Amino acid sequence: MGPRWKGKGFEAKALDDPMSAIVSRLQSFMKDSNAHGLISGSSVILALSSECGNLLNSASFGRPMATVDKEKQWFQLGMEEAFYFHHILNCLEISNGDKQLVTDHDLWQYMTKRKSIFPESFMAYSHLRTKNWVVRSGSQYGVDFVAYRHHPSLVHSEYAVLVLRKGDDESHQRLRSWSEVHCAVRLSGSVAKTLLALFIGKCGYGETSPSFFNGYHVEERIVARWSPEQCREDHTVPRSGS
Amino acid sequence: MESEKWEICSSDGDLCTEDLKDEEDAFYPLSGSISKLQFRKASSRACWNSEVGMAEVVERKGQIWTTTGVLRGGKLYCSIEETLFLAEIGALVLVDENGTGLSLEGIYGKLAEEKNGCCWEHYEVYKHLKSLGYIVGRRGVPWTLKSVGTDALTEDRFITDRLSKLDLNGLEPAFDVYLPNGKFKKSSPGDPSYVLCLTRESPPSRKDVEVLERQSGHIPVKFCHVENGRVSFFSFSKVDLPVLP
Repeated sequence: MGPRWKGKGFEAKALDDPMSAIVSRLQSFMKDSNAHGLISGSSVILALSSECGNLLNSASFGRPMATVDKEKQWFQLGMEEAFYFHHILNCLEISNGDKQLVTDHDLWQYMTKRKSIFPESFMAYSHLRTKNWVVRSGSQYGVDFVAYRHHPSLVHSEYAVLVLRKGDDESHQRLRSWSEVHCAVRLSGSVAKTLLALFIGKCGYGETSPSFFNGYHVEERIVARWSPEQCREDHTVPRSGS
Repeated sequence: MESEKWEICSSDGDLCTEDLKDEEDAFYPLSGSISKLQFRKASSRACWNSEVGMAEVVERKGQIWTTTGVLRGGKLYCSIEETLFLAEIGALVLVDENGTGLSLEGIYGKLAEEKNGCCWEHYEVYKHLKSLGYIVGRRGVPWTLKSVGTDALTEDRFITDRLSKLDLNGLEPAFDVYLPNGKFKKSSPGDPSYVLCLTRESPPSRKDVEVLERQSGHIPVKFCHVENGRVSFFSFSKVDLPVLP
């Protein structure tokens, strides 16, 4: 399945303004304006100027919050998004309810405590975002993430992403029974997405610190159903069902 | 670039053609399969050789033999699944070593013995693909060998036994599958289009997939699951999503 653009000329529009450039602009803006977020539960909330807020929307991060505040736009970020801004793009400071700045290490620990698969989830998120794919939550499709080739207003998401642990650790593992495989593939297919399984493996160091980033490895696999009825070269063979 | 609109999370609403076909199958299961098979009028004859677990074809009729059976020193032999498939469509009459005709019931019995390198589920997969026109052979068993006699066949049996003992958590590379091809030649079949692995209870683990991919070289691997007469095929292929601009 190739990309499905939502309108005429949208593909050209996307080519004209590549996501990498948008994210780069956003990063500069956030750095220059000392963007600062507040960690609350499993979200990081932050206020941005309207110009910066527009950039955030253009890069498709976070969810806008409707508030009466006219000067600033409020947004909430998911843990992966927040960590991405904080640790990868280095353009977001985060403090906690006690008004203390949170370090990389503390943030990692905090997030992992709330969601034990956070390390793998973050590696998957970061892996795709670094390749300039737009990554959003996939929970409404029964998967972890959905990946878009550009902004969701221009194109439908192509991939439904599942995060799996590579290696012997079987906890939180998915696709362990055939009915799960059937289900995940069917669901993804019914919304015209390809199921992408990301296997995240650790290199044996301590998992509690992000300084071992390079110790993670991501393996991409497509889980797809093959219909032998549809793939024969000889198209003159009559199909059944009459 | 302006984009204030929030992504509306609605399903894209593409109706899966597979949904429609599945509905048909549920209500008219037999009509579908019968219309796929073409019952033959002229039958070939084969004699079952229980020592090697194959049937020696003594009288060939029709074009089916270009894509069925293996040649060993000029003689043609077919496996239990090939035998049964042809017997079901009336293209083959099987006799035992005494010359007594074997009914379909007898051949099903041989399959149930599970001594001839094939079980019921293997057969369901074989039948499904053959009915669609694919060319299917047992993994690792050459289509043609010049060697004469039962030595070669014993070797074939050895290959099949070895493969089934591999038992990677119930996984085995079972079949070489070729796309329908009117020009197929046993003397030079080329690489199969797919290597098909049958699974038992569970889907393969990532590690299993890796091992089987390595064994199959550059040939794509597919995994098969049989449940209540329904055969489904899946792949877990490695990819590398492009880096976007």
